[in-house]
Amino acid sequence: MESNSGISNIFAKLFDIRVLGVIAQIVGAIVVALTVSWFVGNVAGNLESLGEAQFICEDGTVAYRCAYDFMDSAAQFDVAETSFGMSYDNSDSYWRAIGVAAVNTIRVTIIGCILTTILGTLVGIARLSKNWLVANVSKWYVDLFRNTPLVLQLVFIYFSFFLALPSIKEAAENSNYVFLSNRGINYPSLVPTESFRVLAIFIGLGLILAYAIWLVLGRREERLGGTTNRAIWAPVSLLLFAVVGWFVANASAAGNQVMLVNNASGITGLDNVSQVVADRFGVEIADLGGIQAQVDAGDIDQKTFKDGRLNVCAARGSLEAANIDSELRALAIPYSISRVKDADKAFQDYAAGKCDVLAAEQGFINEMSATLEDATSFSIVGIPERPLRLSLAKLEGLNFAGGGKMTPEFAAILIGLVLNTGASVGEIVRAGIQAVSKGQTEAARAIGLSEGQRLRLVVLPQALRVIIPPLTSSYLNLAKNSTLAQIVAFPDFWTVIFTTINQSGRAMQGMLLTMLFYLTLSLIISAFLNWYNQRVKLVER
Amino acid sequence: MTVVEKELGPEMVVCKDVNKWYGDFHVLKGIDVTVREGEVIVILGPSGSGKSTFIRCINRLEEHQQGQIVVDGTELTHDIRNIQEIRREVGMVFQQFNLFPHLTVIDNVTLAPINVRKWSREKAEEVAMRWLDRVGIPEQAQKYPGQLSGGQQQRVAIARALAMEPKILLFDEPTSALDPEMIKEVLDVMRDLAKQGYTIMAVTHEMGFAQSVADRILFFDEGKIVEENTPANFFTNPKEERTKLFLSQILNH
Repeated sequence: MESNSGISNIFAKLFDIRVLGVIAQIVGAIVVALTVSWFVGNVAGNLESLGEAQFICEDGTVAYRCAYDFMDSAAQFDVAETSFGMSYDNSDSYWRAIGVAAVNTIRVTIIGCILTTILGTLVGIARLSKNWLVANVSKWYVDLFRNTPLVLQLVFIYFSFFLALPSIKEAAENSNYVFLSNRGINYPSLVPTESFRVLAIFIGLGLILAYAIWLVLGRREERLGGTTNRAIWAPVSLLLFAVVGWFVANASAAGNQVMLVNNASGITGLDNVSQVVADRFGVEIADLGGIQAQVDAGDIDQKTFKDGRLNVCAARGSLEAANIDSELRALAIPYSISRVKDADKAFQDYAAGKCDVLAAEQGFINEMSATLEDATSFSIVGIPERPLRLSLAKLEGLNFAGGGKMTPEFAAILIGLVLNTGASVGEIVRAGIQAVSKGQTEAARAIGLSEGQRLRLVVLPQALRVIIPPLTSSYLNLAKNSTLAQIVAFPDFWTVIFTTINQSGRAMQGMLLTMLFYLTLSLIISAFLNWYNQRVKLVER
Repeated sequence: MTVVEKELGPEMVVCKDVNKWYGDFHVLKGIDVTVREGEVIVILGPSGSGKSTFIRCINRLEEHQQGQIVVDGTELTHDIRNIQEIRREVGMVFQQFNLFPHLTVIDNVTLAPINVRKWSREKAEEVAMRWLDRVGIPEQAQKYPGQLSGGQQQRVAIARALAMEPKILLFDEPTSALDPEMIKEVLDVMRDLAKQGYTIMAVTHEMGFAQSVADRILFFDEGKIVEENTPANFFTNPKEERTKLFLSQILNH
């Protein structure tokens, strides 16, 4: 009897929630320990079976720390695209290849997150619109992109849209500034020249001043009441600085830009270029604009045209090319800029008589012109420089020169990620706005706040609290989904790691690097948004 | 008929033949009311009779589709400037308080004076403290609405409406969401305001308040003003059968 009650006592204790809690903790700890030991054993086993071949150091010894030594050797594969003008060729190391790819991923992620936020906000607001069409179009968009696989969307965007676009030649015939072709999107860009630094300093000072004015006037409003029109004064002061900066930068640029001119061409400066070209064609300056039409009509043959127009040699992507391009475009004469891979090649072309003018850095021209045999055959002439030059994409030979370019691969992964993530962010924004009760809007209106003030002071601060946490997940999804770039052949981090693994056979090293990279990327995004979330939350309590 | 004890000022709210529909449902059927400065109007009626809708039309939280509403000489049209002008001069207190949960009590009260009236923060806070003092909760100024009781929240809402120095106060069932013991503290504040000569239009179910404070009672049923009477006559000697039925139902439960 007694022992029986003892057993039932212990049995009853098992149902005590405090005991149950302890048991759950112990079971949890055992599961974690087993999982960890399985992982460690797995990695150790894999290392074992890999053998020593992957861990041989330079001095011939074998050590795990030498697992990544292979990364210093030449990658010997191409990375189709780099970001921010980073250089890479297949003789660079694996490290370099992976680094370039990491920057590609970061570029897609950052631009993607920004565009997703804009799209998602618009869609979220549109879904709540009272306009039937707006509300339903955004609803269909969200449904379509949330309920189909991202892979399918990417394949569609890349193969059925970008690769199905017209050829470069057709694209060039059909538009003037923005060209959509199966080789990507070419668009006008602004090229900062050397004197842009001066303008940038002025704009920077203007921004500081504008911010200071904003703060000082804001404090004045708080102290004295009334309105100070700070929303007008701050931008006006910035604009003022920018305008003054533009002129100062222009003045400081005098003599920065020069061109090397073949004296035989008769050109003495930009002021007589039009006359020289007009004489070559035997027409008046005013009629130069019609030359192209005559060439198209066949009245002037290609050879005469090519000899007659102003031919310029320059390095591809150089500031000098963009600068002279702008100047010549303003003159509205037939001209061609032959853009070659670097300044040396451009100079060789000039020396070989392929062009009338060489546009390059002043120091380079001074140095190289000294090597020309006939010192009377050339002159060095200044060209005006502007801090910013508009560079237009223009068909030259088989490709576009000048302007900015987005490859179809980059465009496809970016647009795919933005459309897909934008759909979920749209829902998050909608939920956030709806989470703020109708009563809040009524109260804001009843005390006389304008619609803008209502959104800024009442709705947004409350909606953001609801929006930020799920928004973080969406950003993380975008960052990690960018690995699907492999499908559209955009060389992101994962694509290049994949190639590296295939080529070197170092699967484990590649996987570890991948985990490390995406973990870091995710943590940085979370840290940033958590910081922002804290700021938003502080407003509440 | 109009036994008015106090001296009444000029017309503050004039409604002429106000009509409103929700789809096919005719909510307000030709409402004619004139409210003078200093007058306290209590609106009674069964639920669904359109009394809340009517009061919410006066500051354009609801839009009337026919007729004319003139508030302090400004007609309520689709012109946003008119709407803003009227909202600045009309304070409103809601059934659900609708305080801004992300702002402290004092910030709730100063929000509109600073952003709409463009007062300095110092002045706005001074005025706000005066009103919080008046409604009896100056010590709660730095707390958030979520930390206050319902009655305290409603008193903050009243202070928030008063801080804009409105010419008219609208109350939309201000005590309906309150626990019984908190109703009194809010009614006391309202009674006090009525004594100070505020122009008030209140939708409420508090018969005691209506009887003791109102200058006039409007009885709504099915979107119409069925009876307009002084409190004394309304409760003891109603003119209409509908009113008698209503009174018998609420007084006999």
